[in-house]
Amino acid sequence: MSQRITRAQIPLEEMTIVPGSACQGCGAALASRLTFKALGPNVIRHGIPCCPDAVTKHPRAGAVFEGGGASLTGTARGLKAIGRTDIKAVGFFGDGGVYDIGFQGLSAAAERNENILVICKDNEAYMNTGNQRSSGTPKYAETSTNPIGPRSRGKETQKKNVPMIFAAHYVPYIATASVAFPEDLIAKVKYARDLEGFRMIIIQSPCPVGWNFDSAKTIEVARTGVQSGMWPLYEIENGTSFKLNYKPKELKPVVEYLKPQRRFRHMTEAEVNEIQTYVAERWQKLVKADEVHQVII
Amino acid sequence: MSYEVMVGNKACATGVKLARVKVASAFPITPQTTITEYLSDMYAAGEFDFDFVNVEGELTSQVVVQAATAVGARSFTCTSGPGLLYMHHPMQETASKRLPLVMAVVHRGVKGMQPDHSDLMSQQWQGWIHMYVENAQEILDTCVMAYKIAEDKRIRLPVAFGYDGYVLSYTAEPVEIPAQEEIDKFLPPYKPMPSILPGEADPATFARGFGDADPQKPWKIHHEAALMAETVIKEVFADWAKRFGRSYGNGMIEPYRIDDAEAVITAMGTIAGSAMSAVDKLRADGKKVGLVKIRSFLPFPRTDFREIAKKIGAFGIIDRSCQPGMGGPTWHQMRSTLYDQPGPQILGFYAGLGGKEVRVDDIVKIGEKTLKAARGEKVEPLVDWV
Repeated sequence: MSQRITRAQIPLEEMTIVPGSACQGCGAALASRLTFKALGPNVIRHGIPCCPDAVTKHPRAGAVFEGGGASLTGTARGLKAIGRTDIKAVGFFGDGGVYDIGFQGLSAAAERNENILVICKDNEAYMNTGNQRSSGTPKYAETSTNPIGPRSRGKETQKKNVPMIFAAHYVPYIATASVAFPEDLIAKVKYARDLEGFRMIIIQSPCPVGWNFDSAKTIEVARTGVQSGMWPLYEIENGTSFKLNYKPKELKPVVEYLKPQRRFRHMTEAEVNEIQTYVAERWQKLVKADEVHQVII
Repeated sequence: MSYEVMVGNKACATGVKLARVKVASAFPITPQTTITEYLSDMYAAGEFDFDFVNVEGELTSQVVVQAATAVGARSFTCTSGPGLLYMHHPMQETASKRLPLVMAVVHRGVKGMQPDHSDLMSQQWQGWIHMYVENAQEILDTCVMAYKIAEDKRIRLPVAFGYDGYVLSYTAEPVEIPAQEEIDKFLPPYKPMPSILPGEADPATFARGFGDADPQKPWKIHHEAALMAETVIKEVFADWAKRFGRSYGNGMIEPYRIDDAEAVITAMGTIAGSAMSAVDKLRADGKKVGLVKIRSFLPFPRTDFREIAKKIGAFGIIDRSCQPGMGGPTWHQMRSTLYDQPGPQILGFYAGLGGKEVRVDDIVKIGEKTLKAARGEKVEPLVDWV
């Protein structure tokens, strides 16, 4: 598991190229900045169609939308073939490219235990095309393809549990992270960088435009998400060992997370309670898993 | 140099080995399947130093070899029919990134499992070089030569070479295997251009997009490179003929008994083999019919056909695919090629679609009809189904 670091241990050297073309308050841009700081320069960055987030100095390999897992595989195998395993093949993909259209290729890469690092900047919808739902969208969130109306209460189902699905491939390392917890994020990226085999980190990346909140509040929204149990921070090794990285004595009520975001503004008290119950039940399992250091699902 | 009786798919895998491919990736599909098995056997036995990536679908195999080629590992993939259609999306990118990948397409039609050329013909807009080969020896030789063509700095384009499924993929023929040392002299190690490795990559190429270049320019450059392939193909095939004593015409076309011909049939792939026998039969009857096997469909052998057209009265074009509502792609290309010069009549014949058997006598009839047209007789219809 990753080792805790302090803020003073965060690398000073920036890898991002400024000015960028991300929106104000973009969580994904911050995720990119922190991730690539932690990774350093010896990386080929892989992208697929997604929001611009923050461009870095690394050489970039692009692939078709569904080709994230495959292009990382090809790079890693090619680097091995030419004797350059010092260079890391890293993907920085959105939730569309990880949860949905790119899911098959990534699952296959995980099953083959390719020597690749997949970072998902999860902003919970297809933000590049204007906030259409993904399978990473949480229940009741309004998106441009889940407008609220007499026949719709927003997204119909819960968010796909992608970290646990990938953990069930029994790969070396799976973690969740948040832009509001940079030390934790950087420690995980550094730890994952130096492991062999398939590693995946899913970073909560609030989107002020799609989630519809004040762009000055990105970190607050992200932090409340973690503190309320909506976005738990954890690590899983080899599909079995489990560690919960953030354990407050008491969770904040989910309403504190939901309320500042206009994508949830239509929710009734009953709907909020439903989410509260769902989160509380999941949280209990995670705490229990942490106690026994084993994945429980 | 050695000899072995082998099926087309083994000749292909042997070509991959001789070319010292570093990364191969494929998903099995009939009739390509046994290439993946031969490569797996070679990998398991450590027959040569390469990595074989067993993937979950053709789209992934195309992207894997794309990325491996980009970092500097010579790569190979192969597929058939529907598998090629599944690769359609990333194939465009392989060519746009100017990655010198080589792919074998073991023809399987898209309306059934039997062979025709509708799979590779459907990929004409992808920006690849398309070759069609006739026998197992030509598969092996083309596989090696394709790397030399693809990696030539003047073009840097992926090459797909197609051969008919079943009748060629699973049919054993004696094949001459060139010595590895001779191949190594012919085909130098692959160096990617430009480099994508950290510290070597030009940020203008691989990092943020800079500049305000004309967005049409990549198309223009790509088109010019594809046209330039004609020169490169002819050079590479001439070099091969000199070194290994085997030639396939000039690489673009392989003519057979056309010198004094009044009419010329064109064919691609295995049909060209039957067409040779048909030409011999016609000649035995005193009918001056020749054959041109089209080896390179993309780029189309325009220069060669414009020369041949000056000397003959009619072309009989055999198409093993049909674009519904548009027609036979080879017939269309030939008419477009010869539009600007007074020339022969151009008849079209659909043959072998959906794997329909094409017999020597069918081609004899094609030859007789084309000869009639060459002598100025009226023939109906202009395009017919054999």
